[in-house]
Amino acid sequence: MMSVDARQRILDTLRAGLATAPLTVPAPPARPASLPVGPDAWALLAEVLAPLDVRVRLAKTPAEAANHVADIARERGAQSYARWEHMPPALDMDDALAGLSRVLPDCCQTLAHVDIGLTFAQAALIDSGSLVLVAGRERPRAVSLLPPTHVCLVPRSALAPDVSALPELLRAHADASPSLPAGKLPSCLNLVTGPSSTADIELVLVRGVHGPGALDIVGLDWDI
Amino acid sequence: MVLTSTFTPRNFREQSEKACHDATLRAVLDHATRYFMGKRGVALEAFADRDTHFARARAARLTALSRLPDLLEQLEQRATAAGTKVHWAHDAAQAREIVAGIARGCGAKVVVKGKSMVTEEIALNPALEADGIEVWETDLGEFIVQLAEEPPSHIIAPCIHKSRADVAALFREKLGLAGLSGQEDLEDSASIPELTLLARRALREKFLAADLGVTGVNIAVAETGSVILVENEGNIRMSTTCPPVHVAIMSLEKVAASLEDAADILRVLPRSATGQKMSSYVSVLTGPRRSGELDGARETHLVILDNGRSEILADAVLREALLCFRCGACLNSCPVYQTIGGHAYGSVYSGPIGTLLSSLLLPAKDTRDLPFGCTLCGACKKTCPLGIDHPKLMLRLRERVCAGSPGLASAAHTFLALHPLAYRLVMGAARAVDPHLNLLPRLPGLPSGLASFVDSRQPPELKKPFTAQLRNARKKRGGA
Repeated sequence: MMSVDARQRILDTLRAGLATAPLTVPAPPARPASLPVGPDAWALLAEVLAPLDVRVRLAKTPAEAANHVADIARERGAQSYARWEHMPPALDMDDALAGLSRVLPDCCQTLAHVDIGLTFAQAALIDSGSLVLVAGRERPRAVSLLPPTHVCLVPRSALAPDVSALPELLRAHADASPSLPAGKLPSCLNLVTGPSSTADIELVLVRGVHGPGALDIVGLDWDI
Repeated sequence: MVLTSTFTPRNFREQSEKACHDATLRAVLDHATRYFMGKRGVALEAFADRDTHFARARAARLTALSRLPDLLEQLEQRATAAGTKVHWAHDAAQAREIVAGIARGCGAKVVVKGKSMVTEEIALNPALEADGIEVWETDLGEFIVQLAEEPPSHIIAPCIHKSRADVAALFREKLGLAGLSGQEDLEDSASIPELTLLARRALREKFLAADLGVTGVNIAVAETGSVILVENEGNIRMSTTCPPVHVAIMSLEKVAASLEDAADILRVLPRSATGQKMSSYVSVLTGPRRSGELDGARETHLVILDNGRSEILADAVLREALLCFRCGACLNSCPVYQTIGGHAYGSVYSGPIGTLLSSLLLPAKDTRDLPFGCTLCGACKKTCPLGIDHPKLMLRLRERVCAGSPGLASAAHTFLALHPLAYRLVMGAARAVDPHLNLLPRLPGLPSGLASFVDSRQPPELKKPFTAQLRNARKKRGGA
């Protein structure tokens, strides 16, 4: 009851306020056009991510991608991995990581003890170096969060200019809903830009405070 | 707003006076504000079409205010359709009761919290702790100030006033932590990465054990019923991913009409806050986890908090303060903040925007001094990406503080200025009785408006008249 009263009271006060002092919003300047995604997109992505200690490795074939992922696992000294089920069939990541034990990402408790989390980006924003990960049935959120190393596969078709692509991306992953005109958006979309970081103690930058301290990207430079 | 510490805006003068004399604090503030301003400057230099993006972000925030009641209703409807339970809180007490009720409902024993100014504002932690719940701040800086039992001192860097040795001591004494190997004692000389790793381990356990995650909201999207959370550490992602229940608390102005408006805001917010093109993690959350999903909260709540904000919408000047998206840039640019730091303001929000928000949200009698702690230099206005004209709002607040009977005060002044004899008599008497004018506000029969006028100002000491000084000097010379 209390909150019903609160609701009415708040809305009434707001409406009275706007009636007393109406607020008109001048039309803002047009949003600057996004830069086109050209042949230099991978280089731009690598450049914006370099200061964040994120390395972008390019693969021309599924076999090359598998090699890169195996290299990363070796360099990070990983013993185990968890991955999204949602991956193109051509990419046999289990084969690439055959020497490691695969853990199913059932819950956070399990994932807390896994060395590498492997995901497949729905988009990557070149302007900011952000990976776009849309959670779903075969795409648990914690795979990119709990393991100390996050490895993300980015297909060429996923390259997008900047954050202005976000609304369209969200709507593209929405489910039809009778009560929601834009559809029901996915339960979670994460933009991941570099490793987890903090500078809370004496403004000294430290990677990997709660999320992964290491982020590796493998660009899939062919048409998927 | 509720105050959780011994600092209070009522003692703003004393607190700032004291802070001015704290050399360590001055050095820390100097370093921190330069650090943030430097990073921000570099980022904005390289930000193509910066002013256009700023204007679009401002327009997105203005649109939100111009349609606030309608957008909040739409947000409620869409969030509900997405499966989120929406609650409305008129004030801090209601908000605390709502969250405590949710915590009781899910039998919560351990609560993890993402960094959020609004939960500080409503003093949520003590309310949950009173119910026997363990509450953990999980942002590293907030975790440290929680252990120190202090309020945060900066919107985006809550513990800039603590050294690594302070942090090591807190971890040792409050958490009983040993060094990394677990064998040796945790020394004051522990490195910052070591301290960070210790905090990661300690809090990781809490995330996995938590029954409830509580966060603020950076943007709530009316069109889709989503909440957007922005962070660098991953603690907010953890708080919304691991525990079965998530409560997001938003101050009601944090709404955006559309996803496009939200994207325009996201283009500007991280750059202005920390000089990042994008914060490490941005989460767009819409409802609870869907069937077949393996993680994420199963139950999601959104608390829409007013706590005095709705009243501000009627004031065409002061409502500009509601545009703020808390990047903290005005704090770093402010010569007063740079000198006295966050605690002296005595409230959750500090610096230029903090002065405005505290003055608008707290009882007037407690915040009288705040708008005078400003040089009107305009650095904040120049820095603000949303074009908030802080000095103009400061002046408006000063007018409000001094309102009452301005006519009477000026009439008395006019009379004395026109009658030299009366002026001399009054000044002579005042000089004899009360040279520092300390008693002025307590003069019997002084109208309340005038009393508050003089009480809110510290006049200079009354000097002897120039003619008297001249006479004295002549006498001395004559005597020598």
